[in-house]
Amino acid sequence: MIPVTPAPSSFWNDTGKTGISAWIFSTDHKRIGLLYLFSTFGFFIVGVLLGLLLRIELMAPGRTIMEPQTYNALFTVHGVTMIFLFILPSFPGAFGNLVMPIQIGARDVAFPRLNLLSWWLYMGGALIVLASLFTGGGPPDTGWTFYVPFSARTGTNVSLAVFGVFIVGFSAILTGLNFVTTIHRLRAPGMTWGRLPLFVWSLYATAWVQILATPILAITLVLVMAERLLGTGLFDPGMGGDPIMYQHLFWIYSHPAVYIMILPAMGVISDIIPVFSRKPVFGYKMIAFSSLAIAAAGSLVWGHHMFTSGMSDTAVMVFSFLTFIVAIPSAIKVFNWIATLYKGSISLEAPMLFALSFILLFSIGGLSGLILGAAATDVHVHDTQFVVGHFHYVMFGGTGFAFFAAMHYWLPKFYGRLYRERPAIIAWALMFTGFNILYFTMQVLGMKGMPRRYYDYLPEFANLNLLATVGSWILATGLVILLVNLFHGLLKGEPAGTNPWGGASLEWSTPTPPPTENFAEEPVVTHGPYDYSRTGVP
Amino acid sequence: MRNSRNERQLIIISLLALLLTLLCAASNGDAKFNSASQSESFTAGIDEHPGEKIPLDITFLDESGKAVTLAELITGPTIILPVYYRCPNVCSVLQTRMATALQKIEQTPVKDFRVISISFDEQETPEMAARSRHTYLTAIRKPFPEEGWRFLTGDAAAIRRFTESVGFRFQRRGADFSHQVVSIIVNKEGVIIRYLYGVTVLPKDLALAITEARSGVAGKSIRKMMDFCFTYDPIGKTYVFNLLKVGATTVILCAGGFLAYLLFTGAKRTTSSGEKP
Repeated sequence: MIPVTPAPSSFWNDTGKTGISAWIFSTDHKRIGLLYLFSTFGFFIVGVLLGLLLRIELMAPGRTIMEPQTYNALFTVHGVTMIFLFILPSFPGAFGNLVMPIQIGARDVAFPRLNLLSWWLYMGGALIVLASLFTGGGPPDTGWTFYVPFSARTGTNVSLAVFGVFIVGFSAILTGLNFVTTIHRLRAPGMTWGRLPLFVWSLYATAWVQILATPILAITLVLVMAERLLGTGLFDPGMGGDPIMYQHLFWIYSHPAVYIMILPAMGVISDIIPVFSRKPVFGYKMIAFSSLAIAAAGSLVWGHHMFTSGMSDTAVMVFSFLTFIVAIPSAIKVFNWIATLYKGSISLEAPMLFALSFILLFSIGGLSGLILGAAATDVHVHDTQFVVGHFHYVMFGGTGFAFFAAMHYWLPKFYGRLYRERPAIIAWALMFTGFNILYFTMQVLGMKGMPRRYYDYLPEFANLNLLATVGSWILATGLVILLVNLFHGLLKGEPAGTNPWGGASLEWSTPTPPPTENFAEEPVVTHGPYDYSRTGVP
Repeated sequence: MRNSRNERQLIIISLLALLLTLLCAASNGDAKFNSASQSESFTAGIDEHPGEKIPLDITFLDESGKAVTLAELITGPTIILPVYYRCPNVCSVLQTRMATALQKIEQTPVKDFRVISISFDEQETPEMAARSRHTYLTAIRKPFPEEGWRFLTGDAAAIRRFTESVGFRFQRRGADFSHQVVSIIVNKEGVIIRYLYGVTVLPKDLALAITEARSGVAGKSIRKMMDFCFTYDPIGKTYVFNLLKVGATTVILCAGGFLAYLLFTGAKRTTSSGEKP
C-alpha cells in the first residue's frame, strides 16, 4: 500500500509512523479511507469469485461443478458479502472518508476516533460473517434476505452470520452520524451549502438514511436471533407471530439501503461529468435536492418487494404509486447529467467512460425497476432472473461502475501517480461488453420464466445461460486488466500532479498526495465546485 | 471528550436493543403460561364481558357485617378479586401477589383506585373477611388505608348475580371450589374494562389497567402515552410492550433531535479544526 517515492510531506510519511499500527490505529480520515477501500474491495473480489462459480454451475443444466446445497450457500454468501460487506460500506467508508473532508475544506472528520471505531466494527462484523461460513452448521443458505420461516429453522449458521451483519450495521450508523456532523460543522469559510460538491450532498443524504434505517435492520436481525435461539415465535403464526412482519421490517431497512448504495455513486457521477465535459454542472440545486428527495421517497416504498406476499390490494397500489414517485428525482439526475454533457467539450478518459456507462446501465436498471414496481407486471417477473438482472444493472452497473470511475478519478490524487490510459480503456470496454452480455441475458431469461435462486433449469434455457456465463468471463477479464493497470500505475506510474483532470473542487487545490492535515493553510472558498473559469483551469 | 461520549451512547443503544428483545421474549413466555393454565379448567372458566356494566345495586356484607352495595364501594377504578377466604392455594397466592404489586404501584389507593375481594362461597362470614383483611393489609409493607381494599361476603343470590354479570363460572368440589384465577378491573360506572388472568400480578399490568379504567378522567396524557407504548394482547391476555412503535419513534425523535441540535445550537465553527476546537 506504500507508494515508491511519495512526495516529501504527504500523509503517507509526514507523521513519521510506519508499520501496520500506523494504519489500523490511525485516526487520519485518508488512512481510514484506504483501510476501508482495501477491506471492502477485498470482499468485492471474494464476491466476484463466488459469482463466477455460480455462473459456471448455471452454465449447463443439471450438476456442473457443485451440489445443490453448496449452490444455496454460495448465492447466499455472494449476496451477503456483496451487499453488507462491499457495496453498503464501500462508498461512504472508502471515498466518503478519503475525499469528503478535503472537499469541504476540513482537516479531518468531526469525530476521528469514532471514525476508526467504525472501521473496527466493520472488520469485526465482517470477520464474524466469515467465521459463520466455517463453523456451526455451515454457511447460511437462506439468501441474503434471511427470510423467515426458513431462516428461523435452517440448521445452517444463520445466527452468527446475522450477528455479524448486526455489528456491521453499527459501523454504518456511526459513519452516518460522523458525516452529518462533519458536513454541518466543519466546512471551511466560504463553503456554503450552495458550494458543496454534489458528492458531499449525496453523502449527506446517504448519511441520514444510514442513521434512520440501519437501526431497523439491527432490531430485525436481533429478532431473527431471538426467534432462533429463544423460540420467541414473533414470526411464527403458530405462536401468534407473523412472517409477513419480518418482510416488512427487513425491507423497511433494505429498500432505503439500496439508496445508501446508489446515492454516493450518483454523487461521484455528478462530480466527474462536469470535469470531463469542461462545463459547470447543469441544475446544481436540482441534483442536490433530488438526492434528498430520493432519500426521503425511497424510505416509503419498501412494500414493492412484497406484492406477491399477501398484502392488501390497497397497500399494493399505494406502494406501487410511491415507487413511481422515486423515478422522478432519479430522472432529474439523469436528465441534468445529459444536459451537462450537451455542448460540452467531452474528453473520453477512463473515469468519464465509466461515468457515461453508469448513466446507460443505471437507466436500464431503473427502467426495468419500473416493470417490477408496477404491481401487475411484477407478478409476472417476481422471483425470476429478471429481478437478478435488474438488481445487478442498478448495483453493479450503477454503483460498481461508479466505484471504478471513482477509483480512476480520485486514487491518483492519493497515490500521486497515474495509471496508463490505454489499458484502462480496454478494461472498460471488456467490462461494459461482458456486463451487458451477462445481465441483459439474465433479464431475458427472467422474462421467459426462469426463476432466481434455482440450481437447475429446463433445457430451453440452456443457450442463454451459457451466453450469460461467457459474459461473466469477459467481465472478469476486464476487471483483472483494470486492477492490474490501476494499481501498477498507482505504485509505479507517472506523477499525477496536483490537478490531473482540471477539477475545480477543493481536493484539486491541495498538494498530491495531500498532507496529513489536508491543506497547508485553511482554504477560503470563493467559488462553486464547478466554476472552472475562476480556478485557472483551462 | 466527544468521542468517548459517542462510544458510551453506542453501548447504551446496544444494551437497550438487547433489553427490548428480552422484554419481548419474556412477555411471550407469559402468554404461553397463561394459555396452558386456562386449558386445565373444564366447567370453571371466564366468559369475558368487556364493556358491560355490573349491577351496582348488589348488596354484600362488609368486614363488620354491615350491608353495603357495590355502588358505595366502586367510586373510581376498582380491582375486583373473586376469591374465597378459606381457599387453600391460588386465592391466597393471588391476594398475596396483589399485596406485593400494590406496594409497588405509584397510584394512590382510594383516590385513584380501590380493591375489593368478593367471596363466592356463601358459607363464609364477615369474621373470615376481617381476618383476611388483617392478613393482606399487613402484607402490603407500607401504610394502606382500610377503605382501599375491602373484603366482602354475601348470600348465594348476591354472589350469583355478581359472578354471572362478570362471566365467572365456578363449581363447588366438596369443601373447595374449582375456579379460574382472575382480577377484574371496572371503572367508576361499574363497566368492565379488563380481565387480568393468573396469580402473577405485575405492577405494570395493574397500573396500566387502572390507568385504562380512568379514561375520561384526569391523567389523560399519561394514559395516552401508556396506550402508545403498550397494547393489550387478547390472545396472551396481558399487556405487551409495543417494541416496534416505541423503537421507531425513539429512533426518529433521536435523529430529529440530532438534526435540531446541529441546526440550532452553537454557531458553526469558523475554523475547520478536526477534533480540537
